[in-house]
Amino acid sequence: MKKMLKLVNCIKQVPGVSELPWDPRTGRLKRNLAAGMINPACRHALEAALELKNRHGAEITVITMGPDIAEEVLREALAMGADRAVLISDPKIAGSDTLVTSQVLARAIKKACPDFDLVLCGCHTSDSETAQVGPQMVEELRIPGVSHVDQLELKDRLLRLQRLSDNFVETIEMELPGLVTVTTQHYTPRYVPLAGLQDAFGETEITRLTLDDLELDESLTGAKGSPTRILKVFSPVTEKENTVLKGSARKIVQQLFNQFDDKIGGAIGKDIKNYQ
Amino acid sequence: MKETSNEIWVFGDYRNYFQNRVTLQLLARASELAKDLNARVCAVVFGYGVDEWVGEYIAHGADCILVTDHPDLARYQIETYVNLMVRLIEVRRPEIILVGATNFGREFAPRVAKRMKTGLSADCIGLDINEEKLLVQTAPSFGGNLLAQIITPECRPQMATVRPGTFQEIPHDYERTGEIVRVPMPEDLPRESVHLVRSERSAQRSQPLEEANVVICGGRGMGSRKKFRKLIELAELMNAEVGATRPVVYANWIEPEALIGQAGKHITPKVLFSFGISGAIQHTAAINNAEFIIAVNKNPKAPMMAMADVAIVADANQVCTAMIKELKSRIR
Amino acid sequence: MKHKIVRKVVRDFSEAELGPIAHEIDRDARFPWEVIDKMRILDFFGLQIPRKYGGAEVDSISYAITIEELSRVCAAIGLCVTVHNSVGAAPIVRFGTEKQKERFLPPMACGERIGAFCLTEANAGSDASGVETNAVQQETGYVINGTKIFVTNGGICGYALIFATTTDLSGEASTSVFIVEKGMDGFSVGEIEDLCGMRANPVSSLFLEDCLVPLDNCLGSSVSGVRIALTALDTGRIGIAAQALGIAQGAFEAAVKYAKERHQFKKPISSFQTIQNYLADMATDIDAGRLLLYRACALKDEQKPFGTEAAMAKLYCSKVATRTTSLAMQIHGGYGYSKEYDVERYFRDAKVTEIYEGTSEVQRLVISRAVLA
Repeated sequence: MKKMLKLVNCIKQVPGVSELPWDPRTGRLKRNLAAGMINPACRHALEAALELKNRHGAEITVITMGPDIAEEVLREALAMGADRAVLISDPKIAGSDTLVTSQVLARAIKKACPDFDLVLCGCHTSDSETAQVGPQMVEELRIPGVSHVDQLELKDRLLRLQRLSDNFVETIEMELPGLVTVTTQHYTPRYVPLAGLQDAFGETEITRLTLDDLELDESLTGAKGSPTRILKVFSPVTEKENTVLKGSARKIVQQLFNQFDDKIGGAIGKDIKNYQ
Repeated sequence: MKETSNEIWVFGDYRNYFQNRVTLQLLARASELAKDLNARVCAVVFGYGVDEWVGEYIAHGADCILVTDHPDLARYQIETYVNLMVRLIEVRRPEIILVGATNFGREFAPRVAKRMKTGLSADCIGLDINEEKLLVQTAPSFGGNLLAQIITPECRPQMATVRPGTFQEIPHDYERTGEIVRVPMPEDLPRESVHLVRSERSAQRSQPLEEANVVICGGRGMGSRKKFRKLIELAELMNAEVGATRPVVYANWIEPEALIGQAGKHITPKVLFSFGISGAIQHTAAINNAEFIIAVNKNPKAPMMAMADVAIVADANQVCTAMIKELKSRIR
Repeated sequence: MKHKIVRKVVRDFSEAELGPIAHEIDRDARFPWEVIDKMRILDFFGLQIPRKYGGAEVDSISYAITIEELSRVCAAIGLCVTVHNSVGAAPIVRFGTEKQKERFLPPMACGERIGAFCLTEANAGSDASGVETNAVQQETGYVINGTKIFVTNGGICGYALIFATTTDLSGEASTSVFIVEKGMDGFSVGEIEDLCGMRANPVSSLFLEDCLVPLDNCLGSSVSGVRIALTALDTGRIGIAAQALGIAQGAFEAAVKYAKERHQFKKPISSFQTIQNYLADMATDIDAGRLLLYRACALKDEQKPFGTEAAMAKLYCSKVATRTTSLAMQIHGGYGYSKEYDVERYFRDAKVTEIYEGTSEVQRLVISRAVLA
């Protein structure tokens, strides 16, 4: 009998910034105003996993590393069709950089789903945007891995991947077990069905793991265990010296074209100087 | 801290040489950093038949080239390149490694960093040396709305991937000479576990939006499909491309390919006209590399207005119509 | 945590799918089938239907949150969903025979058949006893004659629950509710009403002309129509209160945003005390309404009597909706009066919440009866 495909999705809860609950002066995100959401690329990776599940049958385990509130993204993922959920939460992990994060996640996968077939991650997160955790997990797990994949197809144990990499259209084949990071280009993440959401809060237990469960020493994690250190964080949107134009539309446009005729004219390749 | 040689390495990402100048840009920056560190700049090149790039890199600032030239390296292959790099690092112990933040670089560098158990900053838009002689990496997050200054105090090499376009290349100087170290292809590299079936240059040219000098972007503030479509008339007069925010695409006022945003296209025009857009992060993250932004919005406090070089407080439709009229009268 | 995520999930959907078209479908009075199709697979039409019949039965607070979030973006669609669930499907769940449930609920749960509840007639609004639609029992079924007006979802409903006076074979009179199916002979839909608000909802008249419905389509077979109607309206109240709350919330958020951005006398108008007072009142009103609503929901889920509390919630939330939208329009000044801004749509949508599914006067009747009992 064919063994059930085991998929692992690493997802991250990121601040749901849309209308900028952002203080450009202090460079701080007004976190209390920004609710969390599933990182967009992670949604696409989850959709890829759900499509594989639809087509081939699979068990999907979603894993996230974060504070207790990160449970929200696990529940959403369960509502969409994931089967099991794991929350890695330990205050000592706070401040970890990607090197540490990849190690923690890899350990958790080995613990929660040691016989995994495929790990799927979003290509990057909308907050830190490093795109590093996926490739670093590949090294940690010592499995084949491809980043920045647009589309994937499975035939037996062979995964066929399509991606656009630096203007090269690539088709790559990889044997399972392996890891892919998925872009936002191809898949359309599904909405969360309301029945699924009810169920997600019903029966499914979320497995919680701490550093002790992962047998990781705290010296190897958190800010202390991270090779990089943040010196300072600041916002680049300082008061921009900008020109403000007001008044009637006609006057504004005349003023604009008069003042910036070189810049605009140069860019559009036409002379817009007012010769009158 | 392990003993390191005084070398700053730049990974030679020569694919797409003419559009992708990041290696040259990094060589330029590395040369400046090298002065503070009394170091040499080495370009690392893996490939097949790569003498041309070797020459170019020396002409653009490399003091030395570490090159492995072998038929098996004709196409970029991540595991092989990572293995080669790690071996080289273990032998020569560079202080700093810089990699261009191309798709390849952003997959390659983290894997090298992980093997070396060292730190890596992503997509940096600034590199400096501080008083402690450490590399200070300025990396963006939240779509460029937040910047962090990062250092790697203990682990070596210090590594960073750098956003193309951040630094200026030095004009080539073919009089320059450099040392060329030919590193033989090892016999015992592990086989690739991933099979590159096909890798072809994309036939379609990159979308007009991403290459356009002038982009006109419209938001929900335009009011209706009919009013939004006037921007197309304006664009024709300006040889410009038209883009839009997500609500506009969802409302079917324009085709989905015009979406400018985190989930759509990133643009870098010389001039960007922004009509009726408030400036949500998903959109502004994709336009913050525009050179000159002219924003039109009734609301002077819209985030888009703070980002703009020229903030026009007026009705977007009226300004669009006025611009069309004015341009028609000025352009002979 | 669950309720927080329900809110987020429905909000995300509403903003993405209904947000961009809300203005246009109100202007053109168009029912957006393309979005309804997406809502079907997300279980919006099964919220009050048990799993057994293909539904996605959720707790009452989740239900209220869902209707609120839909209405916050597009009240007309929030209305469609709540009417279908609370007064379309719920009566069948509550009073239907097992056979009826198995027959009618599954197509409703997946949204294939949208439900409508038809009580009102030209001469019978608040006074249900004035209903003239009659059903005469025959051998094989009932022959129904009559006209129902102002039927929410009327233009597109698959099942219409028709309240009628009934004469059985022996001549006995009573009241009943009949499930009339689209396509039945003698059942037709009138023109879509041209209404002040909720314009994207196809509200219409329904005509029954010698319409023969099978015996099995008499809901509950021996349950009094009056009882069904009153129970239905109790449940419906929670939905409408949630809808009114959503409208108020949407208008309120727009007002806050506008107040921060609009500058007069060199300051944002949000720095003026009058505006601040308005916003404070709106915020408090909405919160009070929300608590009344959730209390009614909690009682319902605990299987306790909740009719009075539901009436309070509907009475109060609908008042909050009209008051808040009016203030919101005031805060927007001249722009608020223009269709360029959404707030005038909220203003138009709000008013009917004080009228339908039991006018505010009727709600007061219900509450005072409980007080004076």
